[in-house]
Amino acid sequence: MGEALLSSKNQKILKDGFWDTNPITFQILGICSALAVTTQLKAAIVMSLGLTFVTAGSNVVISLIRNFIPPQIRIIVQLTVVSALVISIDQLLRAYMFDVSKQLSVFVGLIITNCIVMGRLEAFAMGNPPWKSFLDGLANGAGYSAVLIMIGIIREIFGSGTLLGFHVIPASFYAAGYVNNGMMVLAPGAFFLLGIIVWIQRSISGYKES
Amino acid sequence: MNTSSTRYTFIFAVIVCVVSAVMLSVFSEGLRPQKELNEELDVKKNILKAVALKEPLAPKMKGGDVLEVYDSKIEELVIDKEGHVVAGKTPKQLTGKDKDLYPLYIYKEDGRVMAYAFPIVGQGLWSTLYGYLAVEADATTIRGATFYKHGETPGLGGEIEKEWFQNNFKGKTIYSVKEHKLTPVVVVKGKAADVVSKDEYELSHHVDGITAATLTGKGVTELIDRWVRVYDAYLSKLRKI
Repeated sequence: MGEALLSSKNQKILKDGFWDTNPITFQILGICSALAVTTQLKAAIVMSLGLTFVTAGSNVVISLIRNFIPPQIRIIVQLTVVSALVISIDQLLRAYMFDVSKQLSVFVGLIITNCIVMGRLEAFAMGNPPWKSFLDGLANGAGYSAVLIMIGIIREIFGSGTLLGFHVIPASFYAAGYVNNGMMVLAPGAFFLLGIIVWIQRSISGYKES
Repeated sequence: MNTSSTRYTFIFAVIVCVVSAVMLSVFSEGLRPQKELNEELDVKKNILKAVALKEPLAPKMKGGDVLEVYDSKIEELVIDKEGHVVAGKTPKQLTGKDKDLYPLYIYKEDGRVMAYAFPIVGQGLWSTLYGYLAVEADATTIRGATFYKHGETPGLGGEIEKEWFQNNFKGKTIYSVKEHKLTPVVVVKGKAADVVSKDEYELSHHVDGITAATLTGKGVTELIDRWVRVYDAYLSKLRKI
């Protein structure tokens, strides 16, 4: 200990997770959910919050018990911690935010299988103290969220003509013959966008194939 | 401490299991009343929506107020295959074992029947669709339809949960006065007025579909057909045509 909460090392952890080793654009993890929940911005935002919370939370828990976990069963222990956390959240949503939980339905459960969560547990929390692990979870969650929200915004505007459910494309456009792009609603639209975002992010961050 | 020994691994696994199991049970059981209340409220809200009772569904209405309106205006019945009311049974008591027993909800205003509502369930394109259909007191005209649970593609088939689509059902008819037989509505591909003729009779049996969600629409057509036929055992007795 004796290290400042946001020392330069810890700042690097934040920057790495968010930018330099962004889970989606650098590690190419969490692609499935990046496609599945981004047709509408609202779902993308809630999924982002959920994943960030779970990654940070499970990182802390695993980091706390990292020295006690038998190496042979570490993966299944990680999975148990993640599942318990996610199911608890799901139950809370069902009891107190019923409408949100109805909209998310399967997506909440899907957080368990998101590779980012287990990837961070295995790569970071197993070998680092709780506070650093918490920052790492937060940063990776934020990195994931940024990409998801970008894709969500583009897909909802061009696919449905709305943003967060409000119409943003004026009716006069439709009258003039404009139609919503059906591809944006389907998975291929998300793939193209994702590819472009990965490309842009990697050219700015100077990614080199090793 | 040797964390790799079989004994340690075993004990650790048991502890992890017990701790998470206890935690989840506490959450699940502790929140059960609240969850059940939510589900019941959701069902009742959807019945009110189907019979087009708007006021209790305004966002500012509290759960308790919705229940109050529901209890004072909706009568719950159970009918059998022949359309007879089963005395002493309520929809709540129905379980999966009760074959050929169906819940029916009657909306009354000052003792006068306004509408009959019943659940409709069936396959869409990707998922099972759940909703309610309500017909007017004439047992012929559709008063409203809702879909509240589904797993269709958001923006395409998922539009069935939107008001604009559900409004398409209003005023359509399930009984043909020309042929004197049951003719449930058909969800068409595109706009009904473009697909069938602009004839009023034809239009009353056809509903505008959702662009790029033809198969979901087909599912909706089939499930409405199925359930209208089930409930017709009861509804046909009310029809005075």
